Amino acid sequence: MMVRISWKGMAAVVVAVAAVAGMARLGAAPAGQEAAKAAQPLDYEVFRTRIQPVFLKDRPGHARCYSCHGTGNGPQYLVPLSPGSTTWTEEQTRQNFEKVSTMVVNHGDPANSKLLLRPLSPLAGGDLVWEHSGGHQFASKADPDWQAFAAWVGAAPAH
Amino acid sequence: MSKRFLCWSAYLGLACLLLAMPVSAEGPTRFYVANTGGTSVSVIDPATNKVVQTIDGIQVPESVAVSPDGKRIYVSQWAEKVLTVVDRQTGKKIKDIPVTGHSHDVAASKDGKWVLVCNAQNPGSIDIVDAHTLELAKSIPTPTKQHDVVITNDSKYAIFTAEGQPVMTVVDLQTQTIAWEHKFDMGTQVPTIESNPDGSARRVFIQLNKMRGFAVIDFATHEEVARITLPSDEPALKTSMSGHGLAIAPDGKTIWAGSKPDAAAFVYSLPDLKLLGRVRLPRVAVPGHEPLSGSPNWFAFTPDSKRAYVVNALDRSVSVVDVQTLQVLDRIPVGEEPSRITLYAGH
Repeated sequence: MMVRISWKGMAAVVVAVAAVAGMARLGAAPAGQEAAKAAQPLDYEVFRTRIQPVFLKDRPGHARCYSCHGTGNGPQYLVPLSPGSTTWTEEQTRQNFEKVSTMVVNHGDPANSKLLLRPLSPLAGGDLVWEHSGGHQFASKADPDWQAFAAWVGAAPAH
Repeated sequence: MSKRFLCWSAYLGLACLLLAMPVSAEGPTRFYVANTGGTSVSVIDPATNKVVQTIDGIQVPESVAVSPDGKRIYVSQWAEKVLTVVDRQTGKKIKDIPVTGHSHDVAASKDGKWVLVCNAQNPGSIDIVDAHTLELAKSIPTPTKQHDVVITNDSKYAIFTAEGQPVMTVVDLQTQTIAWEHKFDMGTQVPTIESNPDGSARRVFIQLNKMRGFAVIDFATHEEVARITLPSDEPALKTSMSGHGLAIAPDGKTIWAGSKPDAAAFVYSLPDLKLLGRVRLPRVAVPGHEPLSGSPNWFAFTPDSKRAYVVNALDRSVSVVDVQTLQVLDRIPVGEEPSRITLYAGH
């Protein structure tokens, strides 16, 4: 049996396929938009000016975050400083932003980000199980640097 | 022969005699605690159980070794690829010796010739530093990062373990080559050596990362001859690792195994490995939550084997334990996230 399809009919099929494909694309869009939305709150300028400097800070009695996470044996979420430099270049800062954003920030549940829990004393709500070799940089959530971290990841209102 | 000549000859003879005498240990006994989460080494006087000196300015100090003559300490660290040499008396830095990688444990041979450094970066290496020239003499590549090192009392062999990797590596210090390896079915942690009367190794004990206990290796046959599992008669605390401390008392009569989930040390007799008891170490109270383990780490003992010193990482302290009664006598606050402790046996 032979089926005859008119030009009019074929055009209708093409339109229908295009419509389905378009709908599929529209259907995929919300997920992509959601991911982008989750990443959007991480403000690069805040990272550059307020968050990144904490990683190089000398806190009395504590090693610097950079000593383990930039040059040492801890998870490397900071790029090594250029020889002789005391801070990162713009390009290095961008790399740090990407690494910190993906390695130690929990986008689905910011309050459970490693960035917040690992360096916080377990007595103040920090990680109760993981033994952070770098110790507990923050004795309490009242520490201004910890609060800056929390505000940046979206786990607390900005101060 | 004049009287003056005889007198000068006597002085010269005395001077030669003094120079020919072996170098003896300097100063009193001390313990050195590496505050790994900080920037310092705490120095404890066992006569008072107080911190009597703080050597500061070393980022992430991981381990300390003392030169046999007591003049220097060697500090491994994470931040830089160097071994830091410090004057033991003054606490002043003498030199940073470039090594192959960011390092973990360090040990000095009793003959005073070598300082061994564990390169903790993958692929790892075993770095051998000449203690006289203070230069890196040799680096032996290894497939994995290295974590701990202990040296036989006769200074002939060094034993390395690689945290999380299932291998123990034995290095011949005369030829400075790998003598043999032993493979395990799980990752290795802290090793310690039981000695024969001549200082040679008899057995090696090694904590393993997926069991609460340790393996026993016969050094002559290279075979694993036993596994000791720690008692599990009390509820375990939640921790991210099991044991990170194993040591034999200087008199060779007991071996001590730390357990983080138990916040305890378990003590066994040697050579028969019978359980003698448990030392209850600090727990850390957390409001609204069950207590956390104080996280016991490495051990050291007084030279007379009467007291053990246990580092508690989370509690930021060192516990002083009576070896006879297994009771904690004292708690010494130290720095941030302390890890290893090293004895300097002075006088």
